[in-house]
Formats: sequence, structure tokens, C-alpha cells
Amino acid sequence: MGRARTGLQILDSWLGGGFEKPSTILFFSDHPTERRLFAEQFVTTGLKEGERCLYVDFYRAPALARRDLRKFGPFPEDRLVFVDGTSSQLLIPSSERYIVHSLDTFDEIMDTIEGAVRDAKPERIVIDSMEFLADRFSSEGLFERWRKLSEVTKSTGSVVCYMFLNWLYGQKEVRRMDESNDYTVEFQSKVRTGILEHYMRIRDHRPGKRATNWIPLTFREVVGLSVYFPRILVTGPPDAGKSTVVQKLCQSAMSVDQLGTTVAFDYGNVHVSGLEAEIFGTPGQERFEFIFQIFARQVNGVLLVVDSTREEDLPRAKQILKIVGSDVPLVILANKVDLGGAMGPERIRESLSLAPTVPVVPTVATEGKGLLEGLTLLAEQLVGAR
Amino acid sequence: MMDTESVAESLPRHYSVLLVGPPGIGKFEWLLTSARTYLHRNERVVFVTLDLHPREVRKRAEAMGIDLGPSDGTHFSFIDCYSSSAQTTSDDPGNPKIWTVNSYSNLEALGMAISRASVSMGLPVRILFYSVSTLFLHNSPQAIAKFLQMVTNRVKTELGFIAYAVQEGVHDPQTLNLLRSLVDGVMEMRFTESMDRQFRTHHLRGMAATPKWETFQVSGGT
Repeated sequence: MGRARTGLQILDSWLGGGFEKPSTILFFSDHPTERRLFAEQFVTTGLKEGERCLYVDFYRAPALARRDLRKFGPFPEDRLVFVDGTSSQLLIPSSERYIVHSLDTFDEIMDTIEGAVRDAKPERIVIDSMEFLADRFSSEGLFERWRKLSEVTKSTGSVVCYMFLNWLYGQKEVRRMDESNDYTVEFQSKVRTGILEHYMRIRDHRPGKRATNWIPLTFREVVGLSVYFPRILVTGPPDAGKSTVVQKLCQSAMSVDQLGTTVAFDYGNVHVSGLEAEIFGTPGQERFEFIFQIFARQVNGVLLVVDSTREEDLPRAKQILKIVGSDVPLVILANKVDLGGAMGPERIRESLSLAPTVPVVPTVATEGKGLLEGLTLLAEQLVGAR
Repeated sequence: MMDTESVAESLPRHYSVLLVGPPGIGKFEWLLTSARTYLHRNERVVFVTLDLHPREVRKRAEAMGIDLGPSDGTHFSFIDCYSSSAQTTSDDPGNPKIWTVNSYSNLEALGMAISRASVSMGLPVRILFYSVSTLFLHNSPQAIAKFLQMVTNRVKTELGFIAYAVQEGVHDPQTLNLLRSLVDGVMEMRFTESMDRQFRTHHLRGMAATPKWETFQVSGGT
């Protein structure tokens, strides 16, 4: 049994390497969102890893869909197969291997899809979309054939993503969809103070049910989707190495948009294996405390930097933690561990009275050591319990 | 003679209206003159076109003496649902800012295009939608109703203003009533027996409106 990676490391690690093969995933939302981007990324990630993928599209002619998929960077095109559900709607010819010739009969449509799955035996499948079918055919018939299609995709060992935007159904049907799939990936898009924000969460319905938190996402062409944390705060007592952490973290990750130091904050943007974050470093002096108090309320997570060789600074670090509060995800960076007389992580944990869930990561900020590990541990907390 | 342009001027920045009338009455022209009004006031306009190529919209605007050109990209954008469905391209050298939606059935893509175009121009915006009726050829009324409710809410709370044009005489009365219930205001156009054009504001929530039919003319002549 393999795993189907999403290409977003933080999600794959939560999923234990990716979505289980075979499995069925509901890509759900109840209003317009960017969930298609996630489906496209899922397909192109598979293609780049040499898997065969089947895309069933009722909205775009395959030529158009291929063009959209290329936004995620080059992939072996011969491994991508379409069920063309669009050309017949537009009355244009299609040269695809699998074609839905008419949308009149639901069973014929489903026969075509099932046939393509059996024939192509793809590792990954996207059905874009189930709401297109739900808007045209009765729910009873739909659920019946949907269940059968899932049996076929399981028999071919495929991971199938069913796109479904709920225009029509009530809670009962939605629950039924949840229950008949292994995972639900839910999406949200909001406009907030003039900015369009996107979120997703994964719910695993298999035994031992669990779910991620709502995870913010961002999209860039070629790079694709990334988990995106707009406000990660780097703080700590003076001279612990906060500025160096911000600078090194952002360098070591092929940083873009680095603005350097501003009056009140260090700032950098880090982008590494499907994770993007804006990193803000606060000054350590007490006179900046009020800025910090305002800022701390809106942060996604905190990296607290302490100088491992200066035990006398720990009371100040403890004070800062008090301001941060206990609700904000936190990782301690035990910096300067390469210097003589550095305290061990346990000593720091004890002095700061940390909860056992708070990681203490030994770092050498000047060499960039341990920083990405710290950020990843923070991101894992943000995504949700493992 | 009624000045229908002054109605557009009076409509608030966060608001939604439905413009109902038979084909050929001048709904499209009202949307274009509204665009001119808003652009003159330095407001941002998003034109959602389902029934015409963006080039055709521009041409018809020009025939009415309205130049959408200089405002492109910064103050004026198209959302083009027409081109991919008609298997043409949106390419329009005068307009770098075109948001393409690839299918009339893809209500999600249309919804996201409205959000993206608006946010990218800067808020608030004036969204002009021509026309809702075309959606009914490709989606169930329930799906459209939920879609329009969501778009209208998002527009009013975040994006700004939206005016939907809808063809009279092609929808059943229930559907039309449903559409009317989703918006703040309803404006109507009709032909009299002598083929004069008449206009009235049926109601405008929070505003004084006299639902009296008045004769109007379409500028630029069609």
C-alpha cells in the first residue's frame, strides 16, 4: 500500500506520507473557493512522480485544462488522460480517448467514467465535478452510481478526488457523502479587509478519526499551492539572536521578497517545500513591549529565541511567554548551543515551565542550524495534532 | 422624459439591484451608461459578460460614445464567460485585465472571478452583470439561486455594488420572484403598446423610490 503525496510536506507528514492508496476523497465546499487548484496540484504532483492520472472534466475542454495544469510546472503529459465531458456540450470535436458523447443519460456518463478507470488504471483520479452531475440528475441515482464508481476505483488501487460544491443538498446528504468517503478536504475562501484569503482542512473519516485545523493557503504559478502563515513572530530577550534567526531562516529557504530590517521589526519571507511564511522579528528591548502586545494578538505562531549560554535571561523570556499567552502555537529555539557552557533543552524547559508539548530545538542561528526544523515543528502545531 | 442615468448615480456603494425587462428594451445600454457614470466619478467597474464578447461590449459602448479604453486594468475589468464557451479567445489588445471563466456551468469559477477581479482592482467596486438569464440555460434554478445569494452577500459585505440584468418573459414567475427577493432593489423596464420605452424603480431598500412608470430613451440608439 503506497501513499499519494499532496506535494505539501506539512500535509503529507500529517497524512503519514500522503493519502492512502486506494482511497476516496471528497473535495468539499459550500461556496466558491480555490479547491480546483488543490485538485490540480494533486494531479500534477502525481504526474511529476511518474503516476498515471485521470481527469474527468465537465467544465473545460481538455486543451484548456492542460493549459491550466501547466501552471504547476512541467509534467510528463503522456501520463495524463482525460474523460472529456465538455466538448459535446460545446458541440466541438474531441480527440481524447474517453469522451462523454451526451449528457442526456446519467448511466451512460457513469459507464464512460468507469470504463476509463478500468482501462487506464490511474493512480490518481479527479472528478470535476460531482456538483455538475448533482445539478442535472436525481440524488438517489447519483449516490448509487457514485458508490459503485468508488468500488471500481478501489479495485484499480486509485486515489479518487470527488469535487463537490454543495449548491443543492441538505445536511443529511452532506453527512452521507462524508461517511461514504475516506477523507473530506474542505475549502473556504473569504474576502477580509480587501484581501482574498483561502483555507482548507482535512478530515480523516477512517478508524481513529481526526482532523486538521483550518490551514491558510496561497498560490503562485509554477510553485503551486503552499500552506501559508502570514504572521510568524520571532521574539526573545535582547541579543538572543532574533535578527539572525529571521535573516538565516529566510536565506536558507531561497527567500523571496526580503525587505531586511524595518524600524520596529525584522522581516523576511520563507518559502520551502510547500510552506510559506512571513517572519517578523521583534526587538528585545522592553520599550518595544507595547508594539509587541498589539502584534502578538494576531500571530499564527511564535518562535521564542533564547541564548543557551545566558541563564540570567530566562526570567525575561518567561515574561515574554506570559505576554504571548498559552493559546498561540510555540517553539523554543535554544540558540548558540555551539558555545561553551550552553544549557541543555531540559534545563530551559524547566526554567520556562513549558508544557511538555512545546518543542525546544537546539539551534546555531549564525550557521542556520536547527531553524527550519523549528519552523516545521511550529507549522505542524498550526496544522493540528498529529 | 426620464433620465435613467441619474438612478445609477443615486445607488449606494454597497448595494444590489436587479434590472428586469424584455429583450431589446435597453438594459445593456443602462449598464453601459452606469459604467460611464461610475468611471467619471473615479470608481472601479467590473463588467461581467455572459452574452457578448468583451470586444463587442466595447464596440457597442463606443457606438454610444462611451470609451471604456483608458480605464482598463486599473478602473475597468471584464469577466468574460462568453469566450471559452464560444470557443474564441478573450484577447483584446485594449484590455489587459480580462478574467476568463471557462464554462457557464462553472458557477464556482464565476464566483471566484468576481472576487479576484474586485480584490485585484481595489475595493469597493461596481459590478455590472449581463445577464443572469444566460445562467439558466446551463444550471438548475436552485443552484443559481444559491449562487446569486452568495455572490450578492459577498458583494454587499465586502466588494461593493452589483447590478444584475435579467430578461423578462423567459423565466417562470416563481424564478423571477426568487431573484427579486435576493437583492436590495428592483428596477423595471417595459414597452408600451405604442412601443415607447418606460422605466420605473419598483423598490430600493433604504431609499425613496416612486414606482411610477416614466418614458425614457436609449442613448446612442439601438
